[in-house]
Amino acid sequence: MKKVKTLSRRKFMTRAGAVSGFLLAGCDTDIYMPPKVRGGVMGVADVLTMASQRLLLSGQQLVQEHDVSEVTKNFPVWNQSNPDDEEYQRLRRSNYQDWRLPVSGLVNSPVSLSLEDLKRLPRRTQVTSHICEQGWSAIAQWTGTPLLRVLEAAGGVTADARYIVMHAYGGWYEGYDMFDAVHPQTILAYGMNGKELPLGNGAPVRLRVERHCGYKQLKFLKSVQVVSSMEEFGRGTGGLNSDFDFHWYAGA
Amino acid sequence: MKNSLQVKDSGAWVLRHSVNARICHWITVFSFVYLLLSGIMIFLQFPELYWGKVGFQGYPAFFRLSDWGLSWEEADALGNRRWGRNYHYLFAWVFIFNGIIYLAWNLWQKKFYRKMLPTREELTGRNLKQDLINHLRFRSEKGQATRHYNVLQKISYLIVLFVLFPFMFVSGLAQMPAFTAISPELIDLFGGRQTARTLHVLCTVLLVLFVVVHVIEVFIAGIVNQMRSMITGKYLSKTEAGEGENE
Repeated sequence: MKKVKTLSRRKFMTRAGAVSGFLLAGCDTDIYMPPKVRGGVMGVADVLTMASQRLLLSGQQLVQEHDVSEVTKNFPVWNQSNPDDEEYQRLRRSNYQDWRLPVSGLVNSPVSLSLEDLKRLPRRTQVTSHICEQGWSAIAQWTGTPLLRVLEAAGGVTADARYIVMHAYGGWYEGYDMFDAVHPQTILAYGMNGKELPLGNGAPVRLRVERHCGYKQLKFLKSVQVVSSMEEFGRGTGGLNSDFDFHWYAGA
Repeated sequence: MKNSLQVKDSGAWVLRHSVNARICHWITVFSFVYLLLSGIMIFLQFPELYWGKVGFQGYPAFFRLSDWGLSWEEADALGNRRWGRNYHYLFAWVFIFNGIIYLAWNLWQKKFYRKMLPTREELTGRNLKQDLINHLRFRSEKGQATRHYNVLQKISYLIVLFVLFPFMFVSGLAQMPAFTAISPELIDLFGGRQTARTLHVLCTVLLVLFVVVHVIEVFIAGIVNQMRSMITGKYLSKTEAGEGENE
């Protein structure tokens, strides 16, 4: 009796494996999992949340864009509003004339882009909701260069590129997977509500990675790095927020 | 002594709750407690509610905890959204799987409908009124009537299971940034993300009220018998004088 039970369970596991293998065949399993899965049941919940949402997002649908009339006046300034960083302050005083965005790592021809270079690349303007994980939300119009165009300007990524690491003045960093990098609304925004990006909102350039909570929308960008693994950054969880035990995937 | 024996003699053990109902009930209790606590922890770090698409500190609020004696800083110190968010999603999944198992197990069983759906006779105005009076006077059922749910009990369970729980799930989804791409229609249906958040909280208040009444009723009906039936399934149905044992 016991033997039969064991056998059937093994059979079941094999079948379950085959089924999930089939479901994932041809797909990149990367898009369903954070760079580092937390231990225990929390990791299971993380993967369930991320995988279920990514499955529903697999068409790379655009997020809802609002009418310009819906733009929020007094868009909140949250968290870091003026990096306490010598280099940043120097750049700010010269109105970001000398600001450069190095795009390095697993790209075919690393570049360093000035604000003018960015503005010369194809641009996208979108009026979207900013949803903070804390609870607030506001609407703004963002203008910027799609991340995909920035990567193209660096000759495109190499075959083993898996994550885009953004570094910010003030010490923040955050990792993003290719699924988010190629989304048309993922932009490096230099304009907000038709004007230059204000200081409190991340001047001169911030990331807009719609479909995520506010804590993934990195402000005060310093550099872009394409990597194959997030292990060597911080605690290896894929970003500073997840280093502090927030879920790396912030779609929920 | 003799009296108590007699009572036992004149009662009958009935199976009140199936094993599935019992397991799912306690998983619901456990995950509800965690969802509530983690929800409060998240809320405390942004203790204001708004209507519409946008809302932030300084924006006209529908509810402000600071108006009720707890300042923003005090609430912030009490809350913990890191812990809160992690546990909220973990137990949301437990809750969802538990709900799916419960429905899959029960929806194809006739006895589930017999147990949960009010009968035509129960829905008459007279019966509803009588049942309401019984509840308001904290009078519990006796005899054969204890073997099934009374009409207000059935209605409240149905509302919790099929209206409030699904509403919590859907209003939760409507707050998620991913749903601005997955289904903006859902967010618009609520009239905006902040409305979904506010209704999520108000629905929580209704659920907490339900739990309070539910627990009070358990005490009125007899805590030992009720708890035993939700743990072992067995319920001692006492027969009233004049009632036959044969059903």
